Amino acid sequence: MRILSIFLLAFAAYSQVTYDRLLKAPAEPQNWLTYWGDYAGHRHRNLTQITPANVQNLRMEWMFQTGVPGAFQTVPLVIDNILYFTVAGGKAFAVDGPTGRQLWRYDYKLPKGLLSQGTINRGFAVLGDKLYMLTPDAHVLCLDMRNGALVWDVAMEDNEKGYAGTVAPLAIKDKILVGVAGGEYGIRGFVDAYDAKTGKRVWRTYTIPSKEEPGGDTWAADSWKRGGGPTWLTGTYDPELNLVYWPTGNPGPDLHGPSRLGDNLYSCSMLALDVDTGKMKWYFQFTPHDTHDWDANETPVFINAEFRGKPRKLLVQANRNAFYYILDRVTGEFLFAKPYAKQNWAKGIDDKGRPEVIPGKEPSAEGTDVCPGLTGGSNWMAPSYNPALNTLFVQVREACDTFYTAPPVYAEGKAYWGSVFRSMTNEKDYGRLLAMDPLTGTPKWEFRYNKPPWAGTLSTASNLVFAGDEDGYLIALDATNGKLLWKFNTGNAIKTAPITYSVNGKQYVAIASGAGLLVFTLP
Amino acid sequence: MLAQQPHIGAPPAADPIERGRAAYRSNCAFCHGLTGKGGRGPDLTTQTKVHGGDEASIAKIIREGVAGSNMPGFPNFEPEDLRALVLFVQNLSAASAAAAAGPALGDAAEGQKVYAKNRCESCHRIGQEGSVYGPDLTRIGASRSLEYLRESIVNPNADIPAEQRGVVVTLANGSQVSGVRINEDSFSVQLRDIGQKYRSYWKQDVKSVEEAANSLMPTYARMPKTELDHLLAYLLTLKGDNTAGKTAGTAKGIH
Repeated sequence: MRILSIFLLAFAAYSQVTYDRLLKAPAEPQNWLTYWGDYAGHRHRNLTQITPANVQNLRMEWMFQTGVPGAFQTVPLVIDNILYFTVAGGKAFAVDGPTGRQLWRYDYKLPKGLLSQGTINRGFAVLGDKLYMLTPDAHVLCLDMRNGALVWDVAMEDNEKGYAGTVAPLAIKDKILVGVAGGEYGIRGFVDAYDAKTGKRVWRTYTIPSKEEPGGDTWAADSWKRGGGPTWLTGTYDPELNLVYWPTGNPGPDLHGPSRLGDNLYSCSMLALDVDTGKMKWYFQFTPHDTHDWDANETPVFINAEFRGKPRKLLVQANRNAFYYILDRVTGEFLFAKPYAKQNWAKGIDDKGRPEVIPGKEPSAEGTDVCPGLTGGSNWMAPSYNPALNTLFVQVREACDTFYTAPPVYAEGKAYWGSVFRSMTNEKDYGRLLAMDPLTGTPKWEFRYNKPPWAGTLSTASNLVFAGDEDGYLIALDATNGKLLWKFNTGNAIKTAPITYSVNGKQYVAIASGAGLLVFTLP
Repeated sequence: MLAQQPHIGAPPAADPIERGRAAYRSNCAFCHGLTGKGGRGPDLTTQTKVHGGDEASIAKIIREGVAGSNMPGFPNFEPEDLRALVLFVQNLSAASAAAAAGPALGDAAEGQKVYAKNRCESCHRIGQEGSVYGPDLTRIGASRSLEYLRESIVNPNADIPAEQRGVVVTLANGSQVSGVRINEDSFSVQLRDIGQKYRSYWKQDVKSVEEAANSLMPTYARMPKTELDHLLAYLLTLKGDNTAGKTAGTAKGIH
């Protein structure tokens, strides 16, 4: 009997995070199992211990100091009382939930000549008892969840050619899906799927077609070879349709359109890919021939609702180009668009979803003032969706830039911008947390920030919304009316989104800020 | 109107001056003006080069910036772009060499008296003398153009640097406090008042926090022209070192 119980304990200690558990991630609100917390991009949790009535008592339980400088953009995974998170520069930690004590640490050996394009990392994916992360030099790593030991290490592409890895991978079935960064380096973007066990690449779908492929005629001459289309933010997944929705970034060079005349497919687009084969089911391009670095990498959020009298599977996105979009995620059909942030570049979006561009808003040698600015109306800051309230929470950047252009010379591994941008000084930048009806784009309320934020949002079933700002405040608002209920100054601009989970029945909220991971709970 | 694209198709290296002009427009004109006559940054068309006018000296300033000044370093230029930019900058001053006689100015010693008479030190400082309320003038003669300085005195509202922006706090009892905005976030504001004292307010505790519409610097539009010329002559002599213990910033945006 004694031997048997130890045997059982040994199995219980490291339970497997199966694909089935990932499918039902929202049913395990004590855990946080994927980058978005679920496959649908909702970031909404059915945890109700912290409420609008008691959130004012929220206090810091512990802080874990990583000692690692650089932007801390991770979203931790929480798996059975342990937090697993990556930090800048290919490092990662496992930390005990109740105490904040370190359980293991992983240090990736970066190459000496690493291309200096930032070493940020957005987090892990988990499958079975393995963790998956990318490295700044574009490798995919598989780590043993039990001790942080490296299981396999596969190079996606050559870092010396400008490819980098920042995105949190997405585990689906027996595959690990990843994207690539390097849109400012003349790369050719792609989405890859790797066999979770072996690290063998199962498929690759380029986001930029070659000359002969469909869409290849949307690139002048051989400009597609340096076409960009990075995939630096995690996609979302509909298991019923077997489709993963993975958005793409800017065409390269960012700010010089004449180098790449044409629509530049599939840059600044939403791609619907078959999970098993990588084959493109449909695409939708938000910003054809973008010249303002308006990546479409923002979260693809799923909503199932009746739209214009018909029940539909919708995909919504607050795009960097300052328009809010509703698409049919079965067919890719464009349904609706409306500005959610200040913009002066398009009269509107036509019936097919194509922007009606106002002439004279291209970057110029003398500088062109355009809203939104290069960082867009929104960006990687996570939205969240409260289904009971039918409210979508979007972090909005209100800022404009002056865009310059000049013909760039492509050199492998060198920045390939095509000139620069500058903040407009005669406009006061600010930010907003916008709560809107996702089916109409109509604002319900907004909370104003002094500066445009980079932090994301989190929604809970007790009708709280957590968010952060550029001055380092983590805040909690009443999701029904936007009233500020709690704030805490973390001491550093927040660049990622909070999560919530529970350990031994106690609800926590965690946020990465500065070089620390801060964890809050009620007394 | 379609945006002008004068460089389409031209091999970028064909004309180094044009290549330098493109780099200048997008990286330098913001502070030094489109024609190089200066703005927040110094006039580049004069023969006076505080940090040296040879290719190596100018390249070093562009790459590394100037400690203690607003000039950031631009470390990411490709070598060929940097050479073209240096050539363009050198050309700016060569073009004006013919007219290098310079503007007729007053007498610096007289200007120092004007400075004292107007009690400029009650807001500004030179070296260790004066107040920390307004901008430090220790090396203002090296970092600003003559025309920018003239404008700053007769019309201070024309250009207010972000770090000198005034803020007006209306307290619960209706009284107002103003000063230089040191920091403002979504919930609080910190300012320095004219007595050089820090003040801090939670926004929820006050009636309003507003950006001052005008510069905190009084307007000296009525200063007699001779006095103004003397004062400007004096300010242009201020090229002292306030770089001790400081490092240069790095240009934001492109990395």
